[in-house]
Amino acid sequence: MSNILLARMGEITLKGLNRGSFEIQLKSNLKYRLKKFGNLKIFQTQSRIWIEPVDEDNPYFATENNAKEIMQAVTQVFGIVSVSLARKFEGGFDAVTQNAIEHVTELLTNHPEYKTFKVDSKRGNKAFPMNSPEICTELGYQILVNFPGLKVNVKNPDFILNVEIRDYNYIYSGKMMAHRGLPVGTSGKGMLLLSGGIDSPVAGFMMASRGMPLNAVYFHSYPYTSEQALDKVKDLARIVSGFSGRMTLHVVNFTKIQLDMYKNSPQDMLTITMRRVMLQIAERLAVKDGCKCLITGESLGQVASQTLEAIAATNEVVKMPVLRPLIGMDKQATCDISRQIGAFETSILPYEDCCTVFVAKHPKTHPHPEDVIEAEKNIDIEAMVEAGVNGTEDIVINPFD
Amino acid sequence: MIYFDNSATTFPSEGVRSIVREYLEDEVSGNPGSLHTLGVKADKLYRECQTNIARLLGADADEIIFTSCATESANTAIRGYVSRNKRSGNKIISTRTEHKATLECLALLEKQGFEVIYLPVDKAGKPNLGLLEEELSKGGVALLCFTLVNNETGSVLPIEEIVDLRNKISRQTAIYLDAVQALGKMKIDLHGLGVDMCSFSGHKIHSVKGTGILYLKSSVKIDPLIYGGGQQKNMRSGTQSLMLAKAFEKALSEAAASMDDSHSDIAKINAYLRSELVKRDAVILSPDDAVPYVLNVSFSGFESETMLHCLEIYKIYVSTVSACSSKAKKVSYVLLESGVDRKIAANAVRLSFSRYNTMDEAKEFIKTIDEIYDTFLVKH
Repeated sequence: MSNILLARMGEITLKGLNRGSFEIQLKSNLKYRLKKFGNLKIFQTQSRIWIEPVDEDNPYFATENNAKEIMQAVTQVFGIVSVSLARKFEGGFDAVTQNAIEHVTELLTNHPEYKTFKVDSKRGNKAFPMNSPEICTELGYQILVNFPGLKVNVKNPDFILNVEIRDYNYIYSGKMMAHRGLPVGTSGKGMLLLSGGIDSPVAGFMMASRGMPLNAVYFHSYPYTSEQALDKVKDLARIVSGFSGRMTLHVVNFTKIQLDMYKNSPQDMLTITMRRVMLQIAERLAVKDGCKCLITGESLGQVASQTLEAIAATNEVVKMPVLRPLIGMDKQATCDISRQIGAFETSILPYEDCCTVFVAKHPKTHPHPEDVIEAEKNIDIEAMVEAGVNGTEDIVINPFD
Repeated sequence: MIYFDNSATTFPSEGVRSIVREYLEDEVSGNPGSLHTLGVKADKLYRECQTNIARLLGADADEIIFTSCATESANTAIRGYVSRNKRSGNKIISTRTEHKATLECLALLEKQGFEVIYLPVDKAGKPNLGLLEEELSKGGVALLCFTLVNNETGSVLPIEEIVDLRNKISRQTAIYLDAVQALGKMKIDLHGLGVDMCSFSGHKIHSVKGTGILYLKSSVKIDPLIYGGGQQKNMRSGTQSLMLAKAFEKALSEAAASMDDSHSDIAKINAYLRSELVKRDAVILSPDDAVPYVLNVSFSGFESETMLHCLEIYKIYVSTVSACSSKAKKVSYVLLESGVDRKIAANAVRLSFSRYNTMDEAKEFIKTIDEIYDTFLVKH
């Protein structure tokens, strides 16, 4: 007997002739993501991917508790729907019974509250002498005999004893849900505008879930924002890269640009002009990195700079598509995803936008195009963008090393 | 580097460093509680240390209890006193400008049913003594908790008047004094002062972190905070560290020896900074009669934290209790309680000095402030 992970694929299985390339990418992503868990064999049968340790004594597969960490890592790989830890063994019905008893014993140790069960069986190996209903009935009986505290409940059991008879026999119960989506790398690359807030990491996560690898850009205004704010953004980048893979975080030294802007642009247009420069800097960095789009965490109407007019005014300075996966989302829904991906607690640390000195008291919420032209007439935008691009520090974020 | 954050912590002096090194490298220092020669030797040195410290503070050796920090001293004194002396009353008098170590103890005691009366303080940070007299006269006051030198403003408590009032009106009331920021900055004679309990911290006077002292007047009985092997007359169980005690002793004796000279040097630096800063529209928030070692100043046009980061660029280190977050601005409660306008308090920065600071550093500081105004000021 040995333990093996069974991961189920989702949307990929609906693909047509190009399905193969999605599967290859998925397996390669899994291999990369699971590097630290030792030498693994990752292979596929139909809509399933199996992950098996090459070395017998791999500790990550030893018990259900030990396996939690590697299972969690599997759930972070987009393209996977769920994952289970299964017992893999050979033999006839006696072996099935023996393994089922061991499996249920371990399960009840971890979950003493379990009182009811049902057996679910699939038989791929038609040479096995019993058919699926027979396996269910007979195995159910054996479990009842061996565990007098358990009862059968086919409608709403506390756990399901899954038995699969294929090339080998497999037994498992329960599954850990993953984030679905498409394998990262099956779409073009995007440049995420990352602030220290709640929204932008979620936006990055959502685009990565559609197969998009990411790089990120952060605008740093030290000493008006602190070094802790930058550390926080690095932490957020690390959290996002847990899903999207290795990324480069560009830290733009934005202080001088912001000060110049502040001196030469009307107060109520400051947020718009600032964002226009940010987008242009981000686009140039994106071109350098081979990214094909920009990603922001904007949500319509959330703040002054996210009204339709303000978005139009900032959008027009770039040629690349600006993807805004949160545009129609409620803040609460965004917070829920943020919690799910483990970013929320970091996002709400208080260092972000520490200094409100550059924020106008009453920013224009519905700027006209002529307002924008007027606001920028005293500013050498091109020089600013150039300075921003050149004054950038690149940090490679690799969460799996 | 210019280090103007000595009220937060100081670096260990060379003398202290060499004592610590000596203890780490040289011998096996015994447990002062052991009966063999190593233990006896350690115990002897330990008592010597206690005696020397007591002498420098105007106390008796067995009134000095070593703790891990001043917060532990405060907890032991305040909680231990009221726990042991329940019959002396249910009221405690203090102010809202105390250090958190005191305020949080008082908050806990309030939950346990004690009545805590917080005296208002004036602009100079001094508690209203008229009200104190009134409250003492009503009776039932177990304890007074005050700070000799405020850590944010340097304001000095009129302790003699407070002790006089207590002696005159309510002799059963004990006085706990937080003297952390006073140590090394002014002469302290504990017997002369007439307080009952007093806390000190070593790392504020160039000792190492992990060194605190509680002065407990011999006639005062308290319950210990930490139970165990009964060390230090059962007031603070746990094996004593001879190394830390020696480090404290060294730091204190150095501070005492240099106090007069350093006080006048720092007073000059303080006066210079005050006059230069006022010319630059800064508001001095430390009262005129504050200790010269602490200078709280509000810079116009810079929120506290922004100024702190600007100075940090020039390797100048200061302190702020006002941290701004995107939602709620945290402003110093000490300044607000002293009646400082919220907007001015939000820009407050604390400079705090030690004997190692120089006039050249002060001049460099002023030069840097000018540069910061030129480079980073955002005019609204």
